[in-house]
Amino acid sequence: MNVQELVTLVPWTFVAQICNLFIQVYLIRRFLFKPISEVIEKRRQLANAQITEAEAANREAQAMKADYEKNLAEANASASEIIQAAKRQAVLQSEAIVKEAQTQAAALKQKADADIAQEKVKVFNQMKDEIGDIAMDIAAKVIEREISEKDHQKLINDMIENVGDLT
Amino acid sequence: MDFEVSGPKVFFTIPLDIPFLGDFEFSETILVSWIVMAVITLLCIWLTRDLRVENISKRQAVAEMLVETATNFVRGNMGTKFDRMIPFVAALFATSLVSNLISLLGLRSPTADLSTEAAWAVVVFVMITGQKIKSGGVGGYLKGFTTPIPILTPFNILSELATPISMACRHFGNILSGVVINGLIYAALAVASSALFRFLPWGLEQIPFLSVGVPAILSVYFDWFSGFMQAFIFCMLTTMYIANAAED
Repeated sequence: MNVQELVTLVPWTFVAQICNLFIQVYLIRRFLFKPISEVIEKRRQLANAQITEAEAANREAQAMKADYEKNLAEANASASEIIQAAKRQAVLQSEAIVKEAQTQAAALKQKADADIAQEKVKVFNQMKDEIGDIAMDIAAKVIEREISEKDHQKLINDMIENVGDLT
Repeated sequence: MDFEVSGPKVFFTIPLDIPFLGDFEFSETILVSWIVMAVITLLCIWLTRDLRVENISKRQAVAEMLVETATNFVRGNMGTKFDRMIPFVAALFATSLVSNLISLLGLRSPTADLSTEAAWAVVVFVMITGQKIKSGGVGGYLKGFTTPIPILTPFNILSELATPISMACRHFGNILSGVVINGLIYAALAVASSALFRFLPWGLEQIPFLSVGVPAILSVYFDWFSGFMQAFIFCMLTTMYIANAAED
């Protein structure tokens, strides 16, 4: 078997090795770089899509949160408004009730006063009559004689005067 | 004892007798180069089998790491405008590394043949020159030889030609030295072994017992380290020269 020189340039080997190098470049590009680049690119796209999706979801959530907060604030405002209105109404109502009660009380008092006054007059008149009668009886019993009409009348009148002073 | 380091064997010859190229000799270098290419390609196919976007296998992680390492290496040395060079540099590195390491299997390294490194270095040289012409024009490229003063033109031409020659010879010399030293060690160990075990009967003293183990330790440097370093240096110089050519 022939053996080539140890340190030499063999033209055919040289040419073959140049071809081999470029074939190897093609093979390594075709079987390593192309599939790996594709899968990395795919993964990049997937990651981008996921990030975009997450951002959209985040935006949506933010919008919803703002919406909720707005609604909550509105609800709070209307609730306090309702409470305020209720308070005002309650105050008005209570005032009206008190006023009515006062009016009623005043009317009652007035009526009572009138009744009392009327009763007083009535009682006074009755008393006057009764006192007159009693005085007449007493006088008749005490004196046991007929008094002149004139004395009689004077006596009664004095009596009434005294009673009137008492009242 | 006689010890000899020979060039690549020639399996058969096709008598073409083309001028300059001569007869085609199918040598060990060409055969083992094809084995190397087959190994690299099958490895690539195996690594990129069943690729997934998420929940990747360890194999895919390794494949992605290799691609990323090659990309980072080229971008680190050349910037991002040379991304189309990534597969070339990766192929150069892989071919060089596997060629250097295939001697561990007892095959003759294709890189222990100067023709191989010369072929690679000439390809790189053409790329460097092409890049120089691309960035400075033919005029700018030729004018570059007369800087800083015209008298230096011959030296500039020499230094330009020295680039591929030094690249080829550096790689070849390192690998060949490994082959020579390995051959010397095996021969020396065989002699030492037969001297040491001379007392064994029935020709058993001819078995080179010392050749088991000792060369493995030395091959850590001469095959693994040197093989890796030369592949790395060759690719490093390739990227550096081309990047420099683009800057001028």
